Order: sequence, then C-alpha cells, then structure tokens
Amino acid sequence: MRRSGIASFVLWICLTILTLLPVWWMLVVSMRPRVKLYSKSFLIDDLYWDNFLAVLNSSTFLQYLWNSMIVATSNAAMVCALGLLAAFGLSRYKISGGDNVFFWLITNRMAPPAVFLLPLFLLFTKWFVFGDFMLFDTKIGLILLYCVFNLPFAIWLLKGMLDGIPLELDEAARVDGATTSQVLLHVILPLARPGLAVTFILTWIFAWNEYLFAATLTSSAGARTVTTALAEYVSVTGTNWGEMAAMAFLTTLPALIVLGFVQKHIVTGLTFGALKG
Amino acid sequence: MRQSNIGWLFLAPATLILFVIGFIPFIYILYVGFFDWNTNAVDPTLRWAGLQNYRSLVFDTTFLNSLTRTLVFAFFVVVSELLLGYVLARALMADRLWGRQFFRTIHTLPIVVAPIAVGATWRLLCVPGFGIVPYYLKLWFGIDYNIATNSYHAFATAIVMDLWHWTPFVTLSLMAGLTALPKEPLEQAQIDGGNKLQIFWYVIVPMLKPVLLTTVFIRLMDALRSVDEIWMLTKGGPAEATRFIGLHIWINVFPKTDYGYGAAMSLLTLYVTIVLSWLLFVAMTGRKGGAQ
Amino acid sequence: MNSFVKAVGVGIISLGLWSSTALAQDSWWKTAAQPYQGAIIRGVSESTPASKYVEQVLGPKFTEETGIKVEFEATSWDQMYDKAIKDMEANTGIYDFVYIEQDIVYTYLARNFLVDITKSLAENAKIASPDFKPENFTTFLNYFKDPKSGDVMGVPMEAFIKPYLYRKDLFDDPAIQKAYKDSTGADLKPATTHEEYTQVAKFFTEYGADKELWGTTVQASSSHPAAFYEFFESVAPTFGVYNWGIDGTTFAATEANGGQMNSAAAKKALNYWIDLLKYAPPESTSSTWDEVAGTFAAGRAAQGLVYGENAAWIATDETKSTVVGKVGVALPPVEAGVMEAAEAGKGYIGYYDGGAFGIPHSSKNKDASLLFLQYIGQASVQTDWALAGSRIVMNSTYDDPKIVDQDKKMNGYYTLMREDGKLFAGAPPFPFHSQVLQVAAPFIYKAIVGEIKPDDALDQAATAAEAELVKLGYRK
Repeated sequence: MRRSGIASFVLWICLTILTLLPVWWMLVVSMRPRVKLYSKSFLIDDLYWDNFLAVLNSSTFLQYLWNSMIVATSNAAMVCALGLLAAFGLSRYKISGGDNVFFWLITNRMAPPAVFLLPLFLLFTKWFVFGDFMLFDTKIGLILLYCVFNLPFAIWLLKGMLDGIPLELDEAARVDGATTSQVLLHVILPLARPGLAVTFILTWIFAWNEYLFAATLTSSAGARTVTTALAEYVSVTGTNWGEMAAMAFLTTLPALIVLGFVQKHIVTGLTFGALKG
Repeated sequence: MRQSNIGWLFLAPATLILFVIGFIPFIYILYVGFFDWNTNAVDPTLRWAGLQNYRSLVFDTTFLNSLTRTLVFAFFVVVSELLLGYVLARALMADRLWGRQFFRTIHTLPIVVAPIAVGATWRLLCVPGFGIVPYYLKLWFGIDYNIATNSYHAFATAIVMDLWHWTPFVTLSLMAGLTALPKEPLEQAQIDGGNKLQIFWYVIVPMLKPVLLTTVFIRLMDALRSVDEIWMLTKGGPAEATRFIGLHIWINVFPKTDYGYGAAMSLLTLYVTIVLSWLLFVAMTGRKGGAQ
Repeated sequence: MNSFVKAVGVGIISLGLWSSTALAQDSWWKTAAQPYQGAIIRGVSESTPASKYVEQVLGPKFTEETGIKVEFEATSWDQMYDKAIKDMEANTGIYDFVYIEQDIVYTYLARNFLVDITKSLAENAKIASPDFKPENFTTFLNYFKDPKSGDVMGVPMEAFIKPYLYRKDLFDDPAIQKAYKDSTGADLKPATTHEEYTQVAKFFTEYGADKELWGTTVQASSSHPAAFYEFFESVAPTFGVYNWGIDGTTFAATEANGGQMNSAAAKKALNYWIDLLKYAPPESTSSTWDEVAGTFAAGRAAQGLVYGENAAWIATDETKSTVVGKVGVALPPVEAGVMEAAEAGKGYIGYYDGGAFGIPHSSKNKDASLLFLQYIGQASVQTDWALAGSRIVMNSTYDDPKIVDQDKKMNGYYTLMREDGKLFAGAPPFPFHSQVLQVAAPFIYKAIVGEIKPDDALDQAATAAEAELVKLGYRK
C-alpha cells in the first residue's frame, strides 16, 4: 500500500501541474506588455499591470461585470425561492404524475441550448412584448431564462434535503397551531439553510458562467454579461492577448473565490442530487 | 402526505416559468420548421414549405457531418473521461496520500471556470505562432502542431480541452460512488482469490453501475451541448473540422438568418438528443443490474 | 492603457483648440440641442482606432456642448453586426446610431433599416447645422447614399485603403539587396507583379529562417470570414476578378452561367494566394485583420497587405509596434492589364474600406442623433481624428500640416490614399452579403488547410453561392 501511495502522490503532482498550466499561462500572458507577447518563457518577467488596468478602466467592462452580478444573484435568489417552494410541494404532498414532472424537468436542462436560440430570440423580440417593453436585451429576460436551466437541479437538490427533514417536525408544529406558511418559514427554512446555501452558490456559478444565451438574447451594455465581454474581446483586440488574458482571469476570479465553499457539493449539484459528492 | 391540490400550488410558480420559457419555444419552432423563412430573402415573410426543410436536412451533408462529428466527439470525451476519472479516483483514494485535500481542491478548479474562459485560455496556449504548446511540441518533440491547419490536431485539442475541463467532475463523482461501496463483497472476492481485473469487472463495475450511468448521462448530454469553448478555441475550424452541431445551428440561424431551416435543424437535433437520453434513461432505470 | 492615455492627451489638446475656436459655434449647437437636454443617445461600433476616438474624445466633447449624453459601445466586428442587426431587426430601439460598414450598407438599405439624413434635415431646419456639408466629404460618401434618391444615409467616420506594406529598413539594406541580387538576379524593390511578390516572399523566408522573420503576411484564418474577404476583396481583383465573381444583374456565380467566381483568373488568384502561405508565419492560418497587423507590427513579416486603419500605429506607436519608422507603403502587385483597367474605372486593385454612422429607424432619439452625426461630420474635428485613427473622409484633411507631417512618418500612406484611392473600391452592392459569405467561405477555408484543391474550392464555392442566391430568390 505504501508504494501505491507514493505512485499516487507522483501522479497527482504531475496532474496538478497539468491542471494549473493553462491558468498559469493565462496569468503570465496577462502580465506581458504588447511588444513582449511573442516571448515563450514560462515565467512572469515583471509585474506589469497595465493589461488589468486597461480592462478595469473600461466602463463597458465594468458595466458588464455589474450586469453579471445582478443577473447571477437575482437568478440564484429566485431559483432558491421557487425551488424551495416546489421541493416542499414535492416532498410533503402526494402529487399525481410526479415522475413525469421529473423527466420533463430533466429534458429542460439537458436539451442542447442551441436548439432554444432561435425560438427564444423570436419570442423575446416578437411575442413577449408589452407596449414599449420587450424581454429582448433585458436582465429580467436572462434571469427568467436561466431559471429554466437552474430550477430543475435546484428542485431535486432541495427535495433531497427536505426528504431528510423528519415529517414529525412539521406535524408537531401543526399540532401547535402553525399554518403551512409558518411551517415552511419557521421549521423547514432554518433546517434547509445549508442546502439552500449550496444551491445558491452553484446556481450563481452556472448563471455567471453562461454565455450562449447571454450573447443571443442581449445586445447593449445595459444587459450583457461578463462572459460575452470576453467573447467580444477576442476579436476586438486581435493580438492584444495580454488584455484578453487579464479579462479571462477577472471573469474566472469570482468562481475561483467561492470554489472552496462548494467544492464538496459540486458533484451533487451537477448530477441533480443523484450522487452525493 | 397531504392532498395533492395544495402541492400543485407550491409547484405552480416554478412550473409556470418552465412552461412559458422552456416549453412554448418548442411549439414555436415546430411551427416555424414548416416554413421557408429568411428575413434577408427577396420575400422576407413566412412561406409555407411543408416538410421541405426536413427533406433537405436528410441530404444536407454539412449538417449530417456536423452531427456525426458531435457524436464522435462526445463518444471520445465520455470514454476517456470515464477511464481517466476512474484511475484518478482510485489514486486520490490511495492510503497515505499526502496532501489529498490540496490535490482535490486544485483538481476541482477547472469545473467552476466559465466555458468561455476555458476556450480563451486554451486559445492562448494553442494558437499557432503565439502559444507555448505548438512552440514546445516543435522544440522538444519535433511535432508540427497547428490547430489552424490540421483537422486532427484541432479535433484532438478540443477533446483534450474537454478532458481538462470535465475529467475532475468524473473523478469526483466516481470517488463518491467508490466511497459508498460496501466493503464486504470486495473482501469476499479477495478471499475467493479473484485477480484485480476480475474483481474490477465482476464486483466493482456492477456495484458502481448507477453512479457510472448517471455520470455518463450527464457528461454525454454536456458534450453534445458544447459550443462556447470550441467557439473561442477554433471558431469551428480549421474549415469545418470542429464545427459541432450547436455552432452549426447558430451559424444558420444568425449570420445566415435562415429561420425556417434553422428551426427544422434544431428540432431534429433535439430529437436525436432525446432519443439518446431516453436510451440511457432506460439503461439507468429499466435494468435490474444495480439500480434500486 | 497607453493608447487610452494617448487618446485622452489628444482629447485635451483638442479641447484647448476648441475653446478658442468654438465660441462662435457654441451658441448654435446649444440652441439647436435645447429641446433634447439630458437625452441619452446610444451607439455601437467596431472597436477601431477611429471609433475609440469618438468614444473617448468626440462623444464627451459633444455632451459638453449640447447636454446630450453619448453612450458608446466599441466592440468586435462580428459582435457589432450581431448587435446592430438584431436591434434593427427586432425594432428594439436600443441604438440611436450604428456603425455601417461599407459592405453591409446595401443590406441595411434593402431592409429599410436606416433614417434618411438628407430628408430629415430638410424637414427640420432647426437642427440642420450650417457646418455639416456633404460636399466636404471625399467620394467615399457616395457609398452611403441611397442609389434611388441620392440622399445621404450615413455620415462617413472612417475610410482607408488596404495598401501593400513592406519593411523599408530591410528593402533598403545594401547587404540584403546584394544577397537578393545574388540569389534571384533581380533588384530588390517592392513588388509590382505577383511573380515578384512571391519571389520576394520566398527570399525573405529563407533569409529570416533563424530570425523569426517570414516573407509575407496572409490574412488566412481557416475559420473566420477575414480569409474570404482578403481573397475576394484584395487578391482576386488584382487578377481581374471583381465583385466576388458574382454578376450583379443575373446573380450568377459559376462560369457556366456567366459568373466569375470559378473562372480561370479566379483560380489562378487562389492558387497564388494559397501558395503564399509557404512564406508566411505560422499564425497566418489563424489570422484575421488584427492578427495580420499584429504580425507586421511585431516585425515577423517583410511585406503584406494590411488594412490602413492599422497603418498609423504600426508606423508610429512605439508602445505597440517594433517597426516604427521602418514601414514603406506601395500599391498592391497586379496582373498585366489590371492596373490599366482600374485607371480607366473598369476595375479596381484593392479594397477601399471604411464605415459611416447611420441612424436606425428603430431609434427613439432620432433628432438628437442627427445632431451628433452632424457634429462629427464637421470639417473642424477631422484632423485630430485622423491623427488618432489614420482615417480620412474629407479632402481638406489631407492638406492640414499635421497630417502632412504624419504622412512623412508613414512614408506616404496618405499621399497614396489621396492620389491612388480611386484605384480601390468598396465591396459590391449585395444585400445578400452575409448569406453568400456564410455558404462560400467554408470552401476557402478548406483550400487554406489543403483539404481540397484551390480549383475545386472555387468550383464548389460558386455552386454553393449560386444555390443560395436561388434560395433567397435573387436568381430565378
């Protein structure tokens, strides 16, 4: 067993280097001035911050960053609220056709997003129009849309959590005269808090990372998110790889920061709670 | 359990959103798919075309190639991630592995990186003339690696990029499965004198089946969906070597504004995806093998 | 960062100039803008040096004078189209002015996306500035006139030719000249024919084998329309194949039906162009216009066709370019007879590119935008703008001492544009630009990567283009 430990250790050292290499190279490039870009050295030559400053000085990028914050946070909050309600319904009531609902929810998440591009674009621009307001190019449009992809997983994640809360607690509260909403607020909510936190963070990351819909269903700086900024940037700058790398790094940063908190739950999240990480 | 009407009340808000934004679009493309509709045509209105769009699709080699390419890509990434993920999961579970928690955290990192940033990063690594990958492959191994001219290199790079991004997920989920396995059957098999391969195949795999299938299911669906990374890495090139189906649909719907045909294409793709996931779903739940 | 500082610097200088001269006009803009105080107009543009100048200097200046706020998005070329077209198509009204590249104006006109500027100003004399005179512009303005009425639909904001850039320091080096003479028997000079160009490219590739130097740039991205554009707009015309080889009246593309896309001349052109990849740096097959400029600025190529919008910074900006002061400009090499045809007005030898700002019909602030477009269309703002973006849209700009001075540093790019600009032309007037591009370009990509022979690529591209034109209803 000892030898396998050493072999594993060596394997993991190599793997860690491989995992970090792309991220490291991104950092190296982001700290190179334009005239030194074609250098092939693996090392950061000196601390050159102009690429980061240029990105952070761009009011458009900051606007995109802000939009992403709003969209991801609102979406996560909405998904948690609606998901908790739905999970409560599924966990505490007998609902006919629950299994069908499950499969339908899954297909929503699994369908290739490209399939939705055309119909959503047409619906957002031609149908869901109320007077001067249309869903196209709004943050609300994106927030609602991301629900379609995030709600299913939130519901099943939370249902797993709620199933774990003994039914007796509800009953006891009801005997004491609590209404359904009081049960939900005062019994279920406090106990489901850890699960809700995980759901919130994972949903937040998914919404933050999404690109294709954000690029298709928004257009102006008032609604576009940070991932679209990165995609726009590639062709804007051509060889200005330094700024692109800086922007890629900044885009990734928030997700990296919360990584530590949700690391253990990522598998649970990505498999709809089918597997506990 | 209480009566169902109130239960539906709790489900209603979520269901409403899913219905309006998730279901109505299907109906709409079903409708548009029967028309010839290009807003940049001489006649930019919807013109009834019956099944013509679907008929053309069956003979559209670009579309069919793109679909096949996507399936091949998905097959490669799923199989390699499964093998690699299993080896890594075992390695991570090895006794006396020093720094396990550190390795695990680093390994989880790629999962949370936005696909678009993954694509950007890999582009920085691989773009000819600039990236370090082509440079050092040439310097150390004499390989003329060029993702802008060599289809195989581009395709392989797309696969490797996906491995980098998603193998960690497979590792973690297999590890979750392996940790939960009961110890007795394994010990029994060792006492019975089975060799490692036999134990793996006859004891571990059947017990791990639900986890394996779930993982395959998630990875397969995600591999079929991938657009962002590829778009950043190669824009579907060289030529059409990495133009996966999502990208192909996007090109037809937006720059070409071929709405009717794009709708038909979307539906057919959806159909293929549903059939595939249904087959997997049946495999997951239908057989007695290991599923509860 | 540096370019930002520089642009701001330019802005401050121009502010100084303005405060002395603008007093008289001040009142006019203020009065005219009175009803639109506090309005916000939004625009979208490709992120070119000229656009950046509008974003950072002209926009804020206009706001200061009129009280109308300008929000400006400068983004990538494909995203700019994506955003502008979606907005106009959906009638969202997000943008009050959009960048109209010369080649897409016909699509916009065909779909009635744009506000008629001439007509709007005639109808509302209160907002018609006396300083906005269409006759001040170069002939480039003609691309933005409605062919039927002759009305102005867009105000030109940048214009440039795609010249032949070469490394003057290398071409003038006596040792290199001697080596060239020894190996080829000819004198080293900027090429005028395609054979010479290839020969020079080959020589420098061999000469630069250990110096990270190659013979030529090629804008040959194997998955980006830039490759299609370089071939059909810059290379094919020098072989006498114009308008992408598509007949503008019958909409035929194949030779069999009277088109030129797969003619012998077109095939010769594509073979020549693909052959150049042998003498180009490895990034060429993933290069769009930006990377080509980047390659040249990094000193990795001895010659190449480079969009003029980059000519100024390549030749003068030391923070981005390693070849400052070493850049020569010339006309692209041509086949026999093509130059004569171009001089007679029967053809062209390269791409005269650029763009204008126009107002989408969906805009909700048309009057305020009209004021802004006239503001940037004044003769007085042109010079500093040209210095920042190497773009010239008015004849008077050429004579400004500052421009004459910059022209010297660029070894005569402006002179070339002024005197020989007539030999270049914009893209053909095709409303189906994007659709045909999307079906034909993949064959060019395949030729670049060697999947199919150049001859076959053009045959297949022509067939596909023609099929698309039938499908769209242009070709009966």
